[in-house]
Amino acid sequence: MSPLDPRLQEALDGERDPGDLPADLRDAYARLNAVTHVLKTTPPVSVASRVMAEIRENPAPVRRGPARRLIHWLGRPRAVTVRLRPVWTLALAAGLATVLLLPWSNGGPTPGVAQGIASFVGHFPGARSVEVVGSFNDWSRGVLHLNDDDGDGIWHAKAVLPAGPHEYMFVVDGERWVSDPLAGRYVDDGFGAGQQNSVLIVRPVSAQP
Amino acid sequence: MVNDGAPDIEVVAQVLGGDGEAFGILIRRYEPGLLRFATRMLGNPDAAADAVAESLVRAYRHLAQCRDPGRLKSWLYRITGNRCRSHLARRHMNDISLSDAPPPALVDGTDAWAVLERGEQVALVERALAALPAEKREAFVLKHVEGMSYEEMATVTGARIPTLKMRVHRAREALLAALEEVVR
Repeated sequence: MSPLDPRLQEALDGERDPGDLPADLRDAYARLNAVTHVLKTTPPVSVASRVMAEIRENPAPVRRGPARRLIHWLGRPRAVTVRLRPVWTLALAAGLATVLLLPWSNGGPTPGVAQGIASFVGHFPGARSVEVVGSFNDWSRGVLHLNDDDGDGIWHAKAVLPAGPHEYMFVVDGERWVSDPLAGRYVDDGFGAGQQNSVLIVRPVSAQP
Repeated sequence: MVNDGAPDIEVVAQVLGGDGEAFGILIRRYEPGLLRFATRMLGNPDAAADAVAESLVRAYRHLAQCRDPGRLKSWLYRITGNRCRSHLARRHMNDISLSDAPPPALVDGTDAWAVLERGEQVALVERALAALPAEKREAFVLKHVEGMSYEEMATVTGARIPTLKMRVHRAREALLAALEEVVR
């Protein structure tokens, strides 16, 4: 297999007028165009009805409006956001650890036996908003917001979550999806392109010292 | 309610708002290309239909994870490409139907290219494509069959643009060489 003439590659990439090619290269150009023409045939099948049937049979969780989200949240109190007044020491610790499991002793919701308390912390100076989406909230936006009350760029939130592993991402300013750089564990998000979800493992409160 | 001509971003918002039926708009919009892409990747129409159906259901279930609905097309191709790679990894190459097909009868070399569009020549081209390594085949199909720019291809595959250009160039060389070998 010999390398193709760079002029032919350029023409095929749309970077050169094929009319300027010498005759032999124009012939090769025509051959490859004939190949692509053959391959452009669309298969005469459809999977639309099959896909829609599966969707109707088992609808996916949807992104709810505020009212529906509130009703859903009240009905299934899986995750609760607690606003804490930030303390300076926590801000320092936040730079080193993003996910901490802390005892809950300030009167917040009491986790059940199979639940634990997750603390999400991230350093996003200049951000206007930061939230967490993940497997625990159906990757829905607008459910779990982080707060930066003192404007130091350290955003944090706590939530009661089912014990076990959860995948999550930070969404900064409503549009930028960011892995937690200090999560320690990551998994491929399954959509290719090397994107990774952060992994948080929530320990049940009963197992915490 | 959105109509068939609504931009992807509006249709996605409609679906995420609870209108699952609106996903049908996206299926109608992208199914032909996804089926074509998967068929060229897998060389088997049935496997391609399975891969596309699985990909579309997966896309629906994880639609909230689509970080840029304005580039939904790339996202769908990425999911489908991943699904095709999984299929390819799970099966032996001799499962590809084209490999089982007898070599196509060739017309006289002088006239071969002129009749490339004829049905019997389709198998020849598909066989040459199936002989390419998956990543080169994917790059060639995205570029020349789906008509994507290298930037779009980078979004779909996660590969860098120079890498993709190299794959396309190598695929062209291999295809031309394979076809000329047969026609000669």
